[in-house]
Amino acid sequence: MTTKALGALITAMGVLAGGLSAQAQGPVRIGASLSLTGTYAKLGKNQHEGYKLCEKDLNAKGGLLGRKVQLVVYDDQSTPATAVRLYEKLITEDGVDGVMGPYSSPVTEASVNVTEKYKKVMVAPLAATTSIFKRPPDKKRHYVFMVISPAEAYLEGLIDMAAKRGFKTVAVVNEDTLFSKAAAAGAAEIAKKKGMHVVYAEAYPKGNTDFSALLTKVKSLNPDVIAAATYFDDAVALTRQMRELDVNPRMYGVTVGGDLPEFYDTLKTNAEYVYGATQWEHVLPYPGNTEFFEAYAKEFGHEPSYHSAAGYAGCLIYAEAVKRAGSLDADRVREQLLKLEMRTVFGDYKVDGDGFQVAHRMVTLQWQEGRKLVVWPDEVVQAKPRIPTPPWNQR
Amino acid sequence: MLGQVVISGILSGALYAMVALGLALIFGVMRIINVAHGPLLMLGAYTTYFLYSALGINPYLTVPVSMLVLFVVGVLLERTLVFRVVDAPELSSLLLTFGISIALVNLAQLLFTSDLRAVEYLTGSWVVGPFALSKSRLVAFVFAGALTGLAFLFLGWTKLGKAIRATSQSREVAMVCGINVQRIHLITFGLAAALAAAGGALIAVIVAIQPEMGQIWTFKSFLVIVLGGAGNYPGALLGGVLLGLIEQVASLFLTTQLSEVVAYVLLVVILLVRPTGLLGGRQT
Repeated sequence: MTTKALGALITAMGVLAGGLSAQAQGPVRIGASLSLTGTYAKLGKNQHEGYKLCEKDLNAKGGLLGRKVQLVVYDDQSTPATAVRLYEKLITEDGVDGVMGPYSSPVTEASVNVTEKYKKVMVAPLAATTSIFKRPPDKKRHYVFMVISPAEAYLEGLIDMAAKRGFKTVAVVNEDTLFSKAAAAGAAEIAKKKGMHVVYAEAYPKGNTDFSALLTKVKSLNPDVIAAATYFDDAVALTRQMRELDVNPRMYGVTVGGDLPEFYDTLKTNAEYVYGATQWEHVLPYPGNTEFFEAYAKEFGHEPSYHSAAGYAGCLIYAEAVKRAGSLDADRVREQLLKLEMRTVFGDYKVDGDGFQVAHRMVTLQWQEGRKLVVWPDEVVQAKPRIPTPPWNQR
Repeated sequence: MLGQVVISGILSGALYAMVALGLALIFGVMRIINVAHGPLLMLGAYTTYFLYSALGINPYLTVPVSMLVLFVVGVLLERTLVFRVVDAPELSSLLLTFGISIALVNLAQLLFTSDLRAVEYLTGSWVVGPFALSKSRLVAFVFAGALTGLAFLFLGWTKLGKAIRATSQSREVAMVCGINVQRIHLITFGLAAALAAAGGALIAVIVAIQPEMGQIWTFKSFLVIVLGGAGNYPGALLGGVLLGLIEQVASLFLTTQLSEVVAYVLLVVILLVRPTGLLGGRQT
């Protein structure tokens, strides 16, 4: 009996406290678990800084629903299991008003089960894996929203430019890991849709350094385009060995790695004409992008990466939906997020019924005389693509 | 296509042979499998990289420098650590060299960071008919061939070389004949490290380098000496070229992913069918 009475008392106090805090108009508390240590630490920190800058900017403009915004952030050490525990804690113990997504696809995939269970909206700005959002009918998720472009879109620009140019054949190679596989599959599908012929497709193991045989096969087929779904090390090795084996496609593009300054530092002039892809660049003509870049650099003492911009934009998107809903109620915010069309420093936001991103565009870069320049899509180009890539012996 | 792949195979095979010869030497003379062989190669590669990027020295001129530096490193390792496990059970030497390997890799990560570095010196290829001969790989082939040749001349014709082979054949008899076995161990370890360094220096011009590049070379060298016959020096030569060819031809007819499987399945088969290696083990 006493336990029951105690329970009732605590409940009553909780209700009272809740009522009081609402009346006192305490801050809107937004919780997130982020990878501040561990494997993803560097990128998770950038995302955290994006969130922090968003918090600052929102408060400078009067906060959210007339209340101040306060971030509650925990470190998940880059492990999905810890993130699950932390979201559980944020929602049940801390009783935050809303949550934002963690860093990376694997961590999001795990955490989203918690937010779905408690029917909390989660804008997940750094999850690029399609399967988190596109689900079988009986396992649909309702409260998770995507911000960045999916892996499948990384090579779209390369293929699109090639198809417009009338090129017919493409060879697709990729590292045999989750992201690269999806990027390669996306490239092959887009190529087929655009009437191009995929003459060769092969995966290579992670950490592979010798591409001689693979490139010999590619060379014998002489494709117009080589689309490589890479990380950094393999992008460098492939490029060098293409030169060694005198493989001369008319266009050659990579995914991750080709957008990094280190790519050119390592390869020097051999990186010329190579295409790369990225989610975001600070030079893109999105509203407020330059201001964001400068404010961020001033605040944190280093330049933002796309993780920073996506985190910042994701937080603004959530805030905008809350404003339009006029409430923090998950179902009403969800309704607004499904309808919302918004252009942020990170580019466009619009999702389909599954919360899957459909408006954000990847941009394709090309190395031209030591500078990486945006060459696709047309609306935001800095320079014309230099097509075709001249053969190695004519450079 | 097959021709191109055979060329690539032989070119990389010569490098395998030279690097594996170092491992074979240590195994032959000291009965130690040196797991730190690959990380020593990595240090050789970094020596070349820094000489090239900081002082602008032609990377091929740095080969002897890298060899000398790593000879000294090898000697120091033997003098301070490895000599303790020469007569210990094999597990002790494996554990010790494994520990050295981890220490070297982490030290390199700390000192050099994990960033990729490259010596962009001799890129591109000479095109001969339908074949493309990678410049850097061809030069590496010539160097590897010459250095391996020198090593064999040294082993076959010099007094010191003969003493090394004698120690490898029978330590007791060598001792009875007045050979200072401790000194031979020291020199052998230094030589092996120098051969690894030469490999590293040449590889630095071919692929981008990073602190973890070495381990795969330990495995490959091990594969080579099992193929050729552990402790059998000409066997390392055969094994190296064979491994290069197998890898390339397998990735031509199968996929790049399966080619590694083929090489390691072959390792198992050889160990089962002919455990002494193709040329038989331990003859010099």
